Amino acid sequence: MTGNAPGERPRARVPVGLLVLVLLPLILMPIAAVFVFALKGGPGAFWKALTNEDAQFALRFSLLIAFLTAAINAVLGTWAAYVLSKYRFPGERPLAIAINLPVAIPTVVVGTSLLLLWGPIGLFGKLLEPLGLQPMFTPAGVLLAHLFVTFPYMLGAVKPLLDELEVTYEEAAYTLGAGKWQTFRWVILPALRGGLFSGTLLTFAHSLGEFGATVMVSGNLRLRTQTAPLYIFAQFEAGHVAEANAVAAVLAALSFAIFFFLLRYSGGPKR
Amino acid sequence: MTRDPGRLAGRLQGALALAGGAALLLYALWPWLPRPGRAAPPRTVVFYGFSILGEAMNGDVLPEFARRWRARTGEPVEFITSFAGSGTITNQITLGVPAQVALLALELDAGRLAKAGVVAPGSWRRLPHGGVVNRTPFVLVVRKGNPKGIHDFADLAKPGVKVVHPDPLTSGGANWALLAEYGSAARRAPGREREAGTAALLGVWRHVAAQAASARAARTQFENGFGDVLVTYEQDVIADAASGALPGEIVYPPSTVLSEHTLVVVDKNITPAERPLIDALVAFLWSEPAQALFVKRGFRSVDERLNGANPHFGIIRDPFLVRDFGGWDRVKKEIVDDVWKDRVMKEVGK
Repeated sequence: MTGNAPGERPRARVPVGLLVLVLLPLILMPIAAVFVFALKGGPGAFWKALTNEDAQFALRFSLLIAFLTAAINAVLGTWAAYVLSKYRFPGERPLAIAINLPVAIPTVVVGTSLLLLWGPIGLFGKLLEPLGLQPMFTPAGVLLAHLFVTFPYMLGAVKPLLDELEVTYEEAAYTLGAGKWQTFRWVILPALRGGLFSGTLLTFAHSLGEFGATVMVSGNLRLRTQTAPLYIFAQFEAGHVAEANAVAAVLAALSFAIFFFLLRYSGGPKR
Repeated sequence: MTRDPGRLAGRLQGALALAGGAALLLYALWPWLPRPGRAAPPRTVVFYGFSILGEAMNGDVLPEFARRWRARTGEPVEFITSFAGSGTITNQITLGVPAQVALLALELDAGRLAKAGVVAPGSWRRLPHGGVVNRTPFVLVVRKGNPKGIHDFADLAKPGVKVVHPDPLTSGGANWALLAEYGSAARRAPGREREAGTAALLGVWRHVAAQAASARAARTQFENGFGDVLVTYEQDVIADAASGALPGEIVYPPSTVLSEHTLVVVDKNITPAERPLIDALVAFLWSEPAQALFVKRGFRSVDERLNGANPHFGIIRDPFLVRDFGGWDRVKKEIVDDVWKDRVMKEVGK
């Protein structure tokens, strides 16, 4: 046993080794397998699998939906957090729980419930059908599902910061003659920067990988509503492992990049 | 604010991340950005098909139609397609996906669409060949060298044989497989068809070791090493068997069913302006060029004269059709429900 100086962490070769040993087949090796398989046919085959029309569409469509979802939920989520944090009202807790519900519900159930509401046989869908409006099985339907599923991320990232924010700053700003918007822009928003950043990135990352709800509401139409995860699944089902893997590798690499920035910028400075 | 090197590096990284994000956005938006000299958006057709059709439609038949349509009218056509188990796409169409034309694995699913009010009852029967676009026989796939000595559906009842079978609840192909197993025995026992067919189904289903949601998924299971024998469409394995890519070999039973794949036109998803395009597509599917492409891809044409073009088609001594057993309505009630579901599955489940 070696003595540890105060403040120094105990040496832990055995437990750390054990942890790595457990994580290896559980997490690390499956991720590595995607890349190994993607490159098995050589870079030429990888490139060919990646550049076919369907794969390109699926990747671009997924990215667009992720950008839109992140942008819309950044605004909606911040606003919801502001309202929930600032005002006290009856039914506040039930509302807060309801807003956070999407993380708890299985995404397939979210998809089903959206279909049963907006679909052609759904409650609202029935009324929209004669007007020629049909959000399900279109890009709008996919966006709707992603907004639903990722809504709580922004709230979770921003609300704690708002709760901590001293009311006095806001009051001081008003006293100095600042308007509502000016106060929000120059007093509240800067305090939320870290939360906005991590919330938006989390929303983006989740939207990029969303499967369960999307598969229900998209109709899985190639070149129309097929997102990258749906493409991967469809290709794998059809026995086209190389095509599936190429896109899976790109999706995995993108997620790594996003989480790198997430850790680097939101986790970094705070500690 | 002092500009120490650490801060500068941080800013640089931030700018880099921002540039990366912007590049990603640009990449995503690229095909939709307005650019001079871009062709007018093409007309689109939404086509749904059952699982094994994907390669033939996306690879040959639909592009060929688009080429001909463009040559004739100057208009580009784009196909929006989706392929999954026949039962799955039938459910999707019932729920309202914007399918305009769908090719189903069996007429039973067309009937379900009619029942749901999506298409007019029997509307597909007014199409050429009663709506049947192409056929393919049901065959057995065994491990290389046929170690279990399987030559007929009856051999699946041998002790120790493990069968990979699609699930009749979700797969159209599985319903054809049931009819093949029942029918091949029933046709050899005139006068006591029902007993023979029931016994045959019992023999097979006692040995079903894995069930998959679609014919394609069952094949994937077999290829991953499950079971000794797979019951599936000839079309799905014929090309790979010829090229040596199939980890097994095809066994042609002496008597089996030819599956028939039914086309439905979903009128409610077609505007009057789109009608000529859809009609042209439907007519094209039964034309000789399209049928020849199906034959090239391993389907048997409804036009017997064209089937000589594929040298890999196997010989079946006694092929039969669903109409020999009274059509799908009767087969579903008398064989799938009464015999398989109510007797065989209860017996096997004991």
